[in-house]
Amino acid sequence: MKEKSGVKGFLKKLHKYRIYLLMLAPAVIYTLVFAYYPMTGIVMAFKKYNYSGGIWGSPWNGLENFKFFFKSGQAGLVTRNTVLYNIAFILVGTFTQVAVAVFLTEIHGKKFRKISQSMMFLPYFISWVIVGVMAFNIFSSDYGFINRIITSLGGEKVAFYTTPQAWPFILLFFNIWKGVGYGSVMYLAAIMGIDTSVYEAASIDGANVFQRIFKVTIPMIMPTMIILLLMSVGGIFKGNFDMFYNLVGSNGLLYNYTDVIDTLAMRALISSNDFGMSAAIGLFQSVLCFATVTIVNKLVGLYDRDYALF
Amino acid sequence: MKNRMKKGLALLLGAAMTTGLLAGCGSEGGSENSAASGSEGGNASAEAGGSASDAGGADTSEHVDLKMYLIGERTPDFDEVYGKINEILEEKLNCSISVDFLSWGEHDTKYSLLFSSQEDFDLIFTASSWCHYEQTVSLGGFYPLSEEFIQTYAPDIWEVVPEVAWDQAKIDGQIYMVPNYQNEFAQDVLAVRGDLMEKYSIDQITSWDELKAFYLACAADGMYASQGGPWYQYFQAQGLATTGGAPHGGELVLYHTQDPSDTGFYYLLDWDGFTDYCRQMKELADAGCWSPDVLNSSDERQTGLLTGRTAGMVWNLGSCTTYGKQANTENPDWNVTLIDPVADLPKKVQPYINNGVAINQNSKNKERAMMVLNEFYTNPAVQDLAMLGIEGKHWEAVGDDQYKVIDESGFGVSSNCNWGWNNAAIQRTEYIEDKTPLDDVREAMEESWNNNIKEAHVLDGFNFDSTKVSTQFAAVEAAMGNYYDPLVSGLVNDVDQSIEDLRTALESAGIRDVLAEMESQAASYIAEKQAN
Repeated sequence: MKEKSGVKGFLKKLHKYRIYLLMLAPAVIYTLVFAYYPMTGIVMAFKKYNYSGGIWGSPWNGLENFKFFFKSGQAGLVTRNTVLYNIAFILVGTFTQVAVAVFLTEIHGKKFRKISQSMMFLPYFISWVIVGVMAFNIFSSDYGFINRIITSLGGEKVAFYTTPQAWPFILLFFNIWKGVGYGSVMYLAAIMGIDTSVYEAASIDGANVFQRIFKVTIPMIMPTMIILLLMSVGGIFKGNFDMFYNLVGSNGLLYNYTDVIDTLAMRALISSNDFGMSAAIGLFQSVLCFATVTIVNKLVGLYDRDYALF
Repeated sequence: MKNRMKKGLALLLGAAMTTGLLAGCGSEGGSENSAASGSEGGNASAEAGGSASDAGGADTSEHVDLKMYLIGERTPDFDEVYGKINEILEEKLNCSISVDFLSWGEHDTKYSLLFSSQEDFDLIFTASSWCHYEQTVSLGGFYPLSEEFIQTYAPDIWEVVPEVAWDQAKIDGQIYMVPNYQNEFAQDVLAVRGDLMEKYSIDQITSWDELKAFYLACAADGMYASQGGPWYQYFQAQGLATTGGAPHGGELVLYHTQDPSDTGFYYLLDWDGFTDYCRQMKELADAGCWSPDVLNSSDERQTGLLTGRTAGMVWNLGSCTTYGKQANTENPDWNVTLIDPVADLPKKVQPYINNGVAINQNSKNKERAMMVLNEFYTNPAVQDLAMLGIEGKHWEAVGDDQYKVIDESGFGVSSNCNWGWNNAAIQRTEYIEDKTPLDDVREAMEESWNNNIKEAHVLDGFNFDSTKVSTQFAAVEAAMGNYYDPLVSGLVNDVDQSIEDLRTALESAGIRDVLAEMESQAASYIAEKQAN
């Protein structure tokens, strides 16, 4: 059947799909109101904001608001840290989440599976503030759990809070620990969706557990993995402020290894309440994220057209 | 069939979680921007409010309800006390006041939102450097108070507040707050455990060297001396003080407050004392005078002393007395006492703008707000209520100018953010029945301080306005983070290297522009002062 073109054809389609369009409407309206309309606030990044002028009345400021970030001498460092941390989180996170999902499906004891899944899910609900306190009680040199053990065994104390090199691993650990339960649910769902007859066919052909995992499960959940990967790449220039701030706090000794864009901006601007500069930093991150996600999506599309998001 | 169901369920679950994720992203951007977009609607009213003229005298024929923002938490009896205050206000000024609180934890973020969202309120607590005064003025949040306006609507305040206080409140020649009036000393002291001093045979600590000896003695005994280094004590012992509005809470640029003839600034990295201090701190930190975790500890200043983990605490006189007493009550053998490591120096009085009240630019009743403030400030009945609570319930009078606490649980003494209208001329002082040795030490200390107030320095009231160099200022704040706190806590590996790193970072951040702007503002400020 050939579709008619032009206004008439459009109206006809509108009529034909009216029920679908009606169902779509809430989502479209929601997105317009909460995602597109607020985007006009981007102008803040180019204004010298004052209370009496508000967003629209304040004078223009050109690119002045972006300058402080590059002048601070930390721009390169924090951008690098942000990206590297996010890459580590995405790679290790995806790996552990898939692994956990696969293990959970391969486990046959139903009770054990349920309990272990719940246990892994729990950290997701703990606020980073609490995690920060827990971390302090684990790593503190006076009363810390680890140092208590070390000293009771007659060892020398380790001052974690003055040893920056340890922190990439500590941060990675807490990030994975907190996210693995939640993340693995997606993959569990994907695995559940795999037709069991494929597994039956595989076992008839004599596939062992590993072959079953690597030849059937992983390829079948590949699309899910790629979609989730693309979505997390979309935030690759945004540091998880809650995590970095609560675990590292204002400990300058660790900053070379732990400072991300968000914590730097917070430190620079908390005392001056400069809305324009904060908006500028946000815009800087968003533009870079947008560029990254577009490029990665393109690359994925080159590899396999069906995997790309758009 | 079962298979298809599973598949469907899985898809559904996947979809639900994806929307969850998407919604998460969406709302993040949304809340940031929607808070900002809320302010655009109020533009028109802001302009209208700003240009309204103040013609006419003190007309109170129309009843108005005013709103005031204070810092802190609402105490259980707060509304009852303010009900009494409103009775007085209704009768005298035909108005009432309601109070909202910004808690200690959130005022940093919410204060500016009150203005950017064009919230309708009249009065708000403010303070130089620690409570958003300069920032809000530079963003145009406060109503400028002309002398005529103050004289017309708050004649009693005009009479009681000294001229130097108004001068301190001026930014670009314009007053934006009513400063409080009291001699609050800008001198931190230490509360230290007497039993330990005795144990280390140290009879007194009145100088920097004695303080250092005490710190080292503590460390040698395996005891932490305090939660971090005595940085303020160090530069105060040299006669220096922080400069209002300078980076990092005024610490990066000091001035010689004890010597009125010296009007120059001491930029830390050009001052030898800073290097010297950092080296000494490294020595103390390595000896174990405080925990290597101090930078990450979220303990309050008194926690170390009260829990017995440190031998002392550093804070202002009032807080050190309060917690010293608490420690003594809980551990009678500790014998906590107060020490002033810079005892021989004349004392600096806090700027009067360390507490104050401002009027919102968008307030619809600025005149009435000022008249209400006049009552709070100078009417003894209102002053007593706001500071002490209800007579007979929370406190009782001792003579005309003293009070005795009956029950502090419902409405703490002078802890309900009544500091903006502190008025030493009519404020009651506490009558203490059974004095402890700590009270005696405190009284002696206060007396000696009051007899030894330092000469006024022209820069005491100076406040740097950073709007012209906001880019460099923000960059400097960002660059400070990496090195400054570790340096003053003595936790870096190589002091000289870290100081060099800090210097380079600050130079590239544009500290010279900030300093040049400070110099020029100070020069015109001093010229203006001397012209008068």
